[in-house]
Amino acid sequence: MASTFVAAFEILSFGAIIVLVVLGLGIIASMMGIFNFAQGEFVLLGAYVTYLAHSRGIPIWAGMVAAPFIVGGLGFVLEALIIRRFYAAPIVAMLGTYALGLIVRESVRGLIGGFYLTVPEPIGGSIDIGTMHISAWRFTIIVITLLVMAGCYLLLSRTSFGLRVRATLENPALARASGISTPLIYGATFAFGAALAGLAGALIVPVFSLFADLGIRFLIQGFVAVMVGGVGSFIGPVAGAGVIGTLSAALPWVMAPVVADVLVFVLAIVFIKFRPQGLIAGKGV
Amino acid sequence: MGAAKQALRATASQAPGISMADGGLDRALPAQQAAAGRKVLPIVEGAVLIAALIVPLVLQDYLTVFATRVIILALFALSFDLVWGYAGIMSFGQALFFGSAGYGVALMARDLNITSIFLVLPAGTLIGLTTSLLLGGFLLLGRHPSSVIFVALGTLTGSYAADRLARGWYYLGGQNGIPSIPSMSLGSYDITEGPVYYYFALGTLVVVYLLCRFLVRSQFGLALAGLRENEQRIAFFGYKAQHLKAIVFAVGGTIAGLAGSLYAFHEGFVWPNMVGVVISTQVVLYVLFGGSGTLIGAVIGAVIIEGVSFWLSDNYRDIWPILLGVLLLLVILFRPLGLISFVLGERERVGSFGAGPKEKRNAAP
Repeated sequence: MASTFVAAFEILSFGAIIVLVVLGLGIIASMMGIFNFAQGEFVLLGAYVTYLAHSRGIPIWAGMVAAPFIVGGLGFVLEALIIRRFYAAPIVAMLGTYALGLIVRESVRGLIGGFYLTVPEPIGGSIDIGTMHISAWRFTIIVITLLVMAGCYLLLSRTSFGLRVRATLENPALARASGISTPLIYGATFAFGAALAGLAGALIVPVFSLFADLGIRFLIQGFVAVMVGGVGSFIGPVAGAGVIGTLSAALPWVMAPVVADVLVFVLAIVFIKFRPQGLIAGKGV
Repeated sequence: MGAAKQALRATASQAPGISMADGGLDRALPAQQAAAGRKVLPIVEGAVLIAALIVPLVLQDYLTVFATRVIILALFALSFDLVWGYAGIMSFGQALFFGSAGYGVALMARDLNITSIFLVLPAGTLIGLTTSLLLGGFLLLGRHPSSVIFVALGTLTGSYAADRLARGWYYLGGQNGIPSIPSMSLGSYDITEGPVYYYFALGTLVVVYLLCRFLVRSQFGLALAGLRENEQRIAFFGYKAQHLKAIVFAVGGTIAGLAGSLYAFHEGFVWPNMVGVVISTQVVLYVLFGGSGTLIGAVIGAVIIEGVSFWLSDNYRDIWPILLGVLLLLVILFRPLGLISFVLGERERVGSFGAGPKEKRNAAP
């Protein structure tokens, strides 16, 4: 019983991490039609900012709060300077963002060297439920993921900003004609997606520790999750992330980890092949 | 959703269009060339070939070994160029065929003791063909045409999954790969690294290059050019666009398999990166940098990137990847046709198809 519960918690917490990483990726892919290969590096930057704050003696939670803003700001600048030129051609966008990601990743590698740098958990210890112990920080990640998900959903579905974003996505020409500044909306959307990645990086760095390939690790999983969930809505990628995260955490419990690892990808690609629109097709938030 | 889906749909016609986007800049150049009746491409190709022929004569031995590696990587770059530059299929997992052929021949050498060149090279090529047929058939064929994004991510995922498999599978050597593969043998003679291997690899490259050149200048190549420019129109003409794509994908995979088996025997070991994302993206860099859509561009890109990387790696090992990223970004933004477009005009790049020069049919729209 206890081990089942621990397994369930592990699966849930890994699923939450994947959802957190995919949120930004999904928003940029769905709302802008760009598969951002630099998203993993935004995660890495978020983690790096947190590490930097910790090493300078600033409280870790302050670094975690600052990370999304710094990474989001960088995302805004990059969008205005570079990403903007890629909207017409998604494949070029992939290559261009890949180049950007390469620059960021190698710069960070130059800064931290080939090390694995640990960052302590701001909320340490464990929560005891009867005889079972679960990590307090992982539990916090789950809670924050839920809050961020709800926040994004409300932002996109209930606010006038969300309405503008969706209008720009739905029909850019009409949105422009209605007085919405679509370049600004694209910039803000990209920055928002980058900020979410920064937050994800900041939150997961105590779990995975900081190393240059931290972002790459999640990138392909994230892409697959977005495709499985369905490009074009907010809920789609989140649902996809839930499925992929749960599968990749759950399958190693029942089969050899290597097989499980590969099987998740194979299953996902086969699923997308036969259902290209993804789990949740259609319009909406 | 609209924008995203439109973007996905538009990809088919637009993605390869990028390579065309720069045409305006070069308009003046081909006009001059046509007036003078000059052709730049054969000159460039000839120059590269002559340079490649004399390289081992002037280089020290350890540099010849390095040059051999570059030649093999150029062969690999050719396979990606065929798939992306000519058919407009973004194969982000080209290393899957390169690496599985490498692993295949390494296993043959290790477990079956087969190193004869007449067995291992065909076997490696066949592995490349089979894997690319299976993957390409699955990704590209089917009732509904696949979106370009799906193919790009599908190949990338395939390569990544293969990397994970190779890392975790004890039989394949796990993280360390398969070390100390014996040399390739021709009868009782061992082909070891050095000038002999170099000229052998170069000969293979030249033969494959000429075959590819024939292929892309044939009527099949004309259909490919149409596919790249406007897939829908080619489909309306009655071509089976998906089949064309699958064929090119398999040809590319075959060449990648040949390159992979040469590479495995040259390096003497195979390791998981060889099937993974690292080499997959490396080959994309070569081709984009040199110039996609021209065969010689792929070769030049591989030579320049590997050469500069080798030259810088002593003193500037840390900043080279950053520099590479910056260069790549600049090329994508300002020179989408790659370095080759500095000397090669748009008209010559697209070229003419089918019959010989006497009854030249110009395919340029």
